[in-house]
Amino acid sequence: MKFAKIWLSISIASVLVLFLSAGSGSADNGVKLPKLDLRGTRLDNGLRVILVPDHSAPVYAIDVSYNVGSRNELPGHTGFAHLFEHMMLEGSANVGKGEHFILVLNNGGNMNGTTSEDRTIYFEELPKNQLDLGLYLEADRMRSLNVTQANLDNQRNAVEEERRQGVDNQPYGRAELDLDSLSYDNFAYKHSTIGSMADLEAASVTDVADFFHTYYAPNNAVLTLVGDFDPDEVMVKVRKYFASVPAQSAPPKVDLREEPHYGERRESIFDPLARLPRLDIAYHVPPGNTAENYAMQELAIALAQGQSSRLYQQLVKEKELASNISIVTDARMGTGQMYIRATPRPGVSLADLEKGVDDEIAAVAKDGITAEELAKAKMQLLRRFIDRRRTVLGTAQLLGEYAVKFDDPELINTTPDKENAVTIDQVKRAAKAYLLRDQRSVVTTEPAQAAPNAAREAP
Amino acid sequence: MKSHSASPHFGCESRRSEMAMIPHTIETSIPRAAHCGPLRCLALAATVLTLTVLATSTFRGQEKTTPLSKVERLNRAPVNKEVLRVQLPRPMVAKLPNGLTLLLLEDHKLPTVTFIMWIRPGQLADPSDLPGLASFTADMLREGTERRSSFAIAGEADSLGATLGANARFGASYTVVNAAGLVDSAPQLLDLLSDIVLRPAFPPAEVARYKQREIAVLEQRLANPVFLGQRAFRQVLYGDGPLAMASPTRDSIARVTPEDLKRFHAQHYRPGNTILGAIGDFKTGDMRGLIEKYFAAWSGASEPPISLATKRGEPEPTRITLVDRPGSVQTYIIGGTRGIRRTDPEYYGLQVMNQILGGGPQARLFLDLREEHGYTYGAYSNFNAEIYPGDWLAAAAVRTPVTDGSMTQLVYQFKRMSSEPAPQSELDDARHSIVASFALSLEQPARLLDNWMTVQYYGLPADYWDQYADRIAGVDTAAVQAAARKFVDLAHMQWICVGDRRQIQETLAKYGPVTVVDAEGKAEK
Repeated sequence: MKFAKIWLSISIASVLVLFLSAGSGSADNGVKLPKLDLRGTRLDNGLRVILVPDHSAPVYAIDVSYNVGSRNELPGHTGFAHLFEHMMLEGSANVGKGEHFILVLNNGGNMNGTTSEDRTIYFEELPKNQLDLGLYLEADRMRSLNVTQANLDNQRNAVEEERRQGVDNQPYGRAELDLDSLSYDNFAYKHSTIGSMADLEAASVTDVADFFHTYYAPNNAVLTLVGDFDPDEVMVKVRKYFASVPAQSAPPKVDLREEPHYGERRESIFDPLARLPRLDIAYHVPPGNTAENYAMQELAIALAQGQSSRLYQQLVKEKELASNISIVTDARMGTGQMYIRATPRPGVSLADLEKGVDDEIAAVAKDGITAEELAKAKMQLLRRFIDRRRTVLGTAQLLGEYAVKFDDPELINTTPDKENAVTIDQVKRAAKAYLLRDQRSVVTTEPAQAAPNAAREAP
Repeated sequence: MKSHSASPHFGCESRRSEMAMIPHTIETSIPRAAHCGPLRCLALAATVLTLTVLATSTFRGQEKTTPLSKVERLNRAPVNKEVLRVQLPRPMVAKLPNGLTLLLLEDHKLPTVTFIMWIRPGQLADPSDLPGLASFTADMLREGTERRSSFAIAGEADSLGATLGANARFGASYTVVNAAGLVDSAPQLLDLLSDIVLRPAFPPAEVARYKQREIAVLEQRLANPVFLGQRAFRQVLYGDGPLAMASPTRDSIARVTPEDLKRFHAQHYRPGNTILGAIGDFKTGDMRGLIEKYFAAWSGASEPPISLATKRGEPEPTRITLVDRPGSVQTYIIGGTRGIRRTDPEYYGLQVMNQILGGGPQARLFLDLREEHGYTYGAYSNFNAEIYPGDWLAAAAVRTPVTDGSMTQLVYQFKRMSSEPAPQSELDDARHSIVASFALSLEQPARLLDNWMTVQYYGLPADYWDQYADRIAGVDTAAVQAAARKFVDLAHMQWICVGDRRQIQETLAKYGPVTVVDAEGKAEK
């Protein structure tokens, strides 16, 4: 199994390097995407910088990707990476609490931050005449975050409401959390990114301060700017704002390996907020940016993306077993999953639906997909990639993600070629290797009568 | 950008494992897409740019805008005081002999093309005994034409890597049909698009299957607090008729027939009722010719605008509708009133007032309910301006035990907004924010197109977006307060609270007379 290299182990000091790639984002469907010229460098403090001029609109995007996610959390501290993400809005030496929102939004910008299993990102998109503002805001909080009890209590509340709104007050919320905890043995991916209520309650100011020093250091981050600017001028400003942020010692590495399972795992849930049953299945897949992962991505599209896809045609239209079905396939740093989610048509049992899904999975594991299905999947992937690359913000986020997760920002130019290189044999081999019944986990949900004061907030 | 998915319940979805600082989209907090404001507008690469300072604005920003909050402005970060003013590139507008209005915009950044059709009158034409007919018709366009089967349509679209979809959103006065893909496939896309719009067949077998899926969709939506709140709000605000509906009913799904769909299509899908917009990597002249090739044969005179009689005349006094959702750990609160038409001159005042009160994470509601009190993940306000008086509303999902506190803060902020003039610095910030955000809109072609379709559809002046910044700059304290008095009107505020009745009914009674309904909308004793 191949794992992403930790980029900070490479140390190139303050040299502006021009990355050039042979590939030009072309595919044999004849579509040529404009190739992006990445300017990469690393400051003395370890901050990796990627600059891409794009003069198509008078705007720019700034993305700071930190090489930390919920995978780095330890038992008793779940939800910490994300809780910390919220703390990054609570003010720093020169930016007041909440002022970040005010400065960005009132100057015509947009911003947010997100945390996944693998990485945490912060981003702003602003009119090009506010270049200093974005750099200043990101540098100030990287250098000097305010960690206080009052701020922690406040954001803990916001995060708990986020969990309630997204999970505890939603039908099937528990199914989605339980599926990961069932299907992973390695704690890194076993627990949820949102975290348990008990762990969120227990988080202390000391924990927050430690987390900041360990992970929010320039040597554990990638700064990406894409937009309407002169890269030489931007580089001067990047140094001005970021060069004096001190480096920290490298964070501990996390083992993301998932050992093979011995037999299928199952759980059934009675959900008081659900009105219809649901079937959730997860199969392990190889880490992202590997030939096998690309093959699994294309397999998933052939199975369930678009109304001509196999599962839609067979299970929704022909056999009328499902009212909807979807598949999401991870591209993680470690072992990811292919998630299949289906709702039975009213009157159809979960068992019949599962049998229908199993028949399709068995067929594809035996015979693979057709050349036509593969060609179609490639076109759909290319469209999706173009849509993500359309805006400077989308491009900056992709670059940050490629750099942090796979140590390869040049993937912005080479991904279409890699996706296009997948062969029908690779898909068939991957399907046979990974769609294994004894390696999968299944969660079934059935509606339950709401109990008075139903305790749904159990961790 | 509107959804380009034919079926929102199918395909690759995002998982709940990615957590964000603030809600990704307002949709999880507010039961609709973004309002028709400048945050939705964009423009293109070859835009003329000028750096100007808003003539009437000074950006002092020294005062604390929310005295109640611990939010703190240090004003040390480097801010460029100039607003980057941009001019949106104008589309080529043409009318074909059959009455179809075309709107064409070139955008050469990437080799793609997007087509969007607005076909009136959409859901507003639903018969009272068949709610959802417009929506059923739109959903069924892809399910077979005189020339293609449902499978053939799906296969062609997927093979092109294209998106092809249609929807008649509840509350919208037009059906949207769209197609997008790589520009090389523009002829095939137009062939598909014109086929599903001009020649849908509504095959009985497909209609029967669709009805089964639609029942499941409805059941799933009934489990969603945002949907329950949205449905109750429309009911309270509009009483009866199409405007009062937010979804089909089990009965209408059961009763609709292929003949109903054919009739609706024949009556309303006409070139004279339609604007077709295209944006992408093409030459305008070539694209016009291509569109004419596929749409010139379409015929049918335009219909007169639909009349929208609703029983409600004067706004009703404040009332609280509690939608009982047993087992809820949050209360989803909506407070709102009847709003304006898109062409009303009050639009600008409402826009700026809304920006101050709840237009984003920098606005009063968010800073108070989330940053100060930690009651919620997000609190926002929004408005919807249509050919009929739409609505203005604020919404937040709060944990059940702080339902009372949240209501108190909402009432406090509403009262403050309508009774105290907004400080000059807050007014400046709001106007600045709205105008400055135009620059960001310049790189999302589908949204730019949507902006110009808005101008065309509502009959706004051709230089509307050129004038917009000045109109916003011209909104003064008095205009903001007038908008607040009229729309943030506590005497006529309609509250919807979706939550666990046993835990919140008593509390809510403090804020007005409470009516309890169940998930089906039926009154409970």
